[in-house]
Amino acid sequence: MGSEPPTGSANDPPVAVELDGVTKRYGKTAAVDDVTLRVREGEFFTLVGPSGCGKTTTLRLIAGFEEPTSGTVRFGGESMAGVPPEDRDVGVVFQSYALFPHMTVGENVAYGLNFADPPEGTTRDERVADLLELVDLPDAADRDPENLSGGQQQRIAMARALAPGPDVLLLDEPMSALDARLRERLRAQVKQIQSELGITTIYVTHDQEEALAVSDRVAVMNDGTPEQVAPPRTVYREPATRFVAEFVGDNNTFAGRVVDAPAEGAIAVDVDGGDETLRVAVGGDEENGTERDATATRSAEVGDRIHFCVRPEHLRVASADGEPGPEADAPAGENALRATVASAEFLGETTRVTLDWGGRELLVRAVDPLDGAVTVGFDPSDAHVIEVETQ
Amino acid sequence: MTRTDGERAADRGDRADRLARLREGVESHALTALAVLTSAALVVAFYYPTATVLVEAVVVDGAVTLGVFAEVLTDPFYFGEFARLLSGESPAAVARSLASPDRRLGIVGFTAYQAVLSTIASVALGLPAAYLLARFEFPGRRTLRSLTIVPFVLPSIMVAVGFVATFGENGTLNAALGALGLPPVDLLFTLEAVVIAHAFYNAPLVARVTTAAWESVDASAVETARSLGAGPLRAFVDVVAPQVYPAVLTGAALTFVFTFGTFPIVLALGGFQLATVEVFVYRLVRDLSYAEAAALAIVELVITLGVLLAYLRYEARNSTSTRGARPLPRRSLVPPAPTLRELLPRAGLAAYVAVAGIVFLAPIASMILASLTGGDGALTLDHYRFLAERQQTGAAFQVRPWPAIRNSLAFAAAATLLALPMGVVVAVLTTRRYRGRTLVDAAAMAPLAVSGIIVGLGLLRGLVFGIEIAGWRIAASGAVAIVVAHAVSGYPFVVRTVSPGLAGLDRSLVESARALGASRARVIRDVELPLVWPAVVAGAAFAFAISIGEFTSTVVLATGADAYTMPVAIERFIGRRLGPATAMGVVLLVVTGLSFVVIERLGGEHRGL
Repeated sequence: MGSEPPTGSANDPPVAVELDGVTKRYGKTAAVDDVTLRVREGEFFTLVGPSGCGKTTTLRLIAGFEEPTSGTVRFGGESMAGVPPEDRDVGVVFQSYALFPHMTVGENVAYGLNFADPPEGTTRDERVADLLELVDLPDAADRDPENLSGGQQQRIAMARALAPGPDVLLLDEPMSALDARLRERLRAQVKQIQSELGITTIYVTHDQEEALAVSDRVAVMNDGTPEQVAPPRTVYREPATRFVAEFVGDNNTFAGRVVDAPAEGAIAVDVDGGDETLRVAVGGDEENGTERDATATRSAEVGDRIHFCVRPEHLRVASADGEPGPEADAPAGENALRATVASAEFLGETTRVTLDWGGRELLVRAVDPLDGAVTVGFDPSDAHVIEVETQ
Repeated sequence: MTRTDGERAADRGDRADRLARLREGVESHALTALAVLTSAALVVAFYYPTATVLVEAVVVDGAVTLGVFAEVLTDPFYFGEFARLLSGESPAAVARSLASPDRRLGIVGFTAYQAVLSTIASVALGLPAAYLLARFEFPGRRTLRSLTIVPFVLPSIMVAVGFVATFGENGTLNAALGALGLPPVDLLFTLEAVVIAHAFYNAPLVARVTTAAWESVDASAVETARSLGAGPLRAFVDVVAPQVYPAVLTGAALTFVFTFGTFPIVLALGGFQLATVEVFVYRLVRDLSYAEAAALAIVELVITLGVLLAYLRYEARNSTSTRGARPLPRRSLVPPAPTLRELLPRAGLAAYVAVAGIVFLAPIASMILASLTGGDGALTLDHYRFLAERQQTGAAFQVRPWPAIRNSLAFAAAATLLALPMGVVVAVLTTRRYRGRTLVDAAAMAPLAVSGIIVGLGLLRGLVFGIEIAGWRIAASGAVAIVVAHAVSGYPFVVRTVSPGLAGLDRSLVESARALGASRARVIRDVELPLVWPAVVAGAAFAFAISIGEFTSTVVLATGADAYTMPVAIERFIGRRLGPATAMGVVLLVVTGLSFVVIERLGGEHRGL
């Protein structure tokens, strides 16, 4: 963990930002602990994790607001040790937007042009106008930042960061202060601007849904270390660690002992805290074909302890109240868990149902209201093995 | 032809590039350079001169000794009964003597005693003002709130004159008592007069810091307490008081420190029979007993620093930030209903306002009145005429008004120009968090704690008489030394006004500017200073006022020279009759007031303070 497997081929774009064994300590605690990451040119790379996981510190180390205790930050292969933020060609957007309140919107956007020339053939004013156009606020130049809404301020902050033409755009929770609907709209806009400009972007958020929605690749951080670095689909479908499995999206994780291996790629597991023996497919996720954690593909043998997870949407309600359910005939019958409904949250499209399964919680998605005793099942191939502990 | 043109252009481009690089280099190191310059200025203007004086306490005839200290510490004249403790007597015996009515406190003991009394008086007089300002709404509240800064920057010698005019034998108090048929009282040269004068200075300070804390109490915290079942009084005790109390302690600690080192007030209102440590240091210096003066000054410094450090530790443990709080709603001064609970606090405030009016307005009013009153009690301009005559016919050795005014203004302007950048640099350096910041903070604030007499003496002997460094003789005129001394005593106030503003700025504003390509120094110029501009202007006004009113080190440095200022002129005039001194006091009042207006106008384009 903490290091990224050396993947990539000759066709991949060159590395724009690289962290090499970077550690940042405050006193005795390591906010960022031996992190090695490579972000490629033009990539939309997201650091996601709970608060205190070190994602913002990582961003600040890249921006140059903090110097690493050990390790090296490189831009285009060049060490940034001792290079102050103003000489790193980065654009930064903060959660608080940090617009200069004593300047107009136009002056804010133009500020970085005091230190960098606008692109060949454009004047300062044209550059400011272009960027305000880009963020869809063409007439805001003469306004006071304080009179703008949060979403508008966020876009101005984006325009200001982009004006001097930085090599890397760093976004530190730029949407956290906005309401949910606006956040969804703005993240689409940010993503669109990013791909339009093709600028290398490193995005910090605590919102895993946001991370999945916009990123080319995601680093899920915990305790100062990335636990998995992979494209959003891989992170969601094949979480590398228990932490990733539980942090990204709803999930049901199970632990147990392998009691049988009846066929190649199939095992039977006695699950902790339940009477059931569940069947799990191993090494069968090859069609997703991306960076996989080595532990997950290792075949499990009888006697090993194993951790695996099943997404709520893969848990099918086989029957309710002893009556055959709508999917009672589904092939999922192979794994059946008997549980009772504990609570349900109506989310509109679906209902998020919490089941009580022998004192443990199980999450399922249901279309119809559920109540009482239910039997749920899942296809062994929908189980994802996270970890195998050889005994 | 085109080629050479091209070459020339390239050449020009090269030079422009080099210039740009040079400018960038200078800019990126500007903050470091400013920090080094400020440190150098502090060393030359404060640390070195002060050290040369203080070292005399331990070096006698070239040999290091603690003898002078031992003498001072065991001398009952200085330490009273405590001296016996230090010379080895049993604590029980000392405690018995202290409990007896004819105890001796000694100079140091008395200084602490009057400082404690002054602190109690200042808190007692300041808290009701804070209550009024923080909790009530009335016309002129904002003005009154900003006026609370005024007593603090009024020249102490002028205040002393005002108090003499109020409480003296022929003062307004006795005139009022006489009119009522009551016997006259003589408060002058009593402890009471000194304590009241100290309260005049420091109660507004207590009121100011307490008001600020009270205003930042979040109304939702009080409302939460109320909704949980606490009555208004209980909510005050449990929620408001704990947040206001540290501020009261701040005010008290500062008051103690200021009154412990008091000089002009005691000199003018107490005389030598009520001498404090600082007055005795002055006397010893005048008698050329430098070693003893230095030892005594070190004792004073240790006590002052002890209190300041204890307070700073307390503050560090108890500081909470309650920014963005919704303040408690203010109440109207007119009671909404004629109930006892509504009327009682307002009646108390009315009584308080009467007392405060006497303490704060009487000295100033009396001074103005006395300057316009002749010996026979009739209104006259005689005292001003005396000043005008002295200006025209005064001998070279006599103090004349115009040079005093001119010197005061010139010194104050120069001192402000020096103190402002120093203060801003120190504020920037102490706002950021880094290891050893407390040390930098303390070192930069030390001028507040060191005896002005010692700083003055050090500058006199160090700068005016000249120092030799590597074969170069560096000497400055008395005027330059005065400017330096004023800048040193004024810049901590610039730091104290600018720092909170800088600390309150969103860190990401600075970081955004850095990421956009601005150097650290450039960010200070483009972002931080414009945003805290009102505080910078206030700091400038502070530095100016401190300089105009500075007496302690000026009186040492202005000896024999023609570099005297208005406060020094007042002190020299006091010697004969009160009249000319009060007239000079009024001139000082007018000049100080006008300067404040000018400074506010100059900084007026940024509003907000």
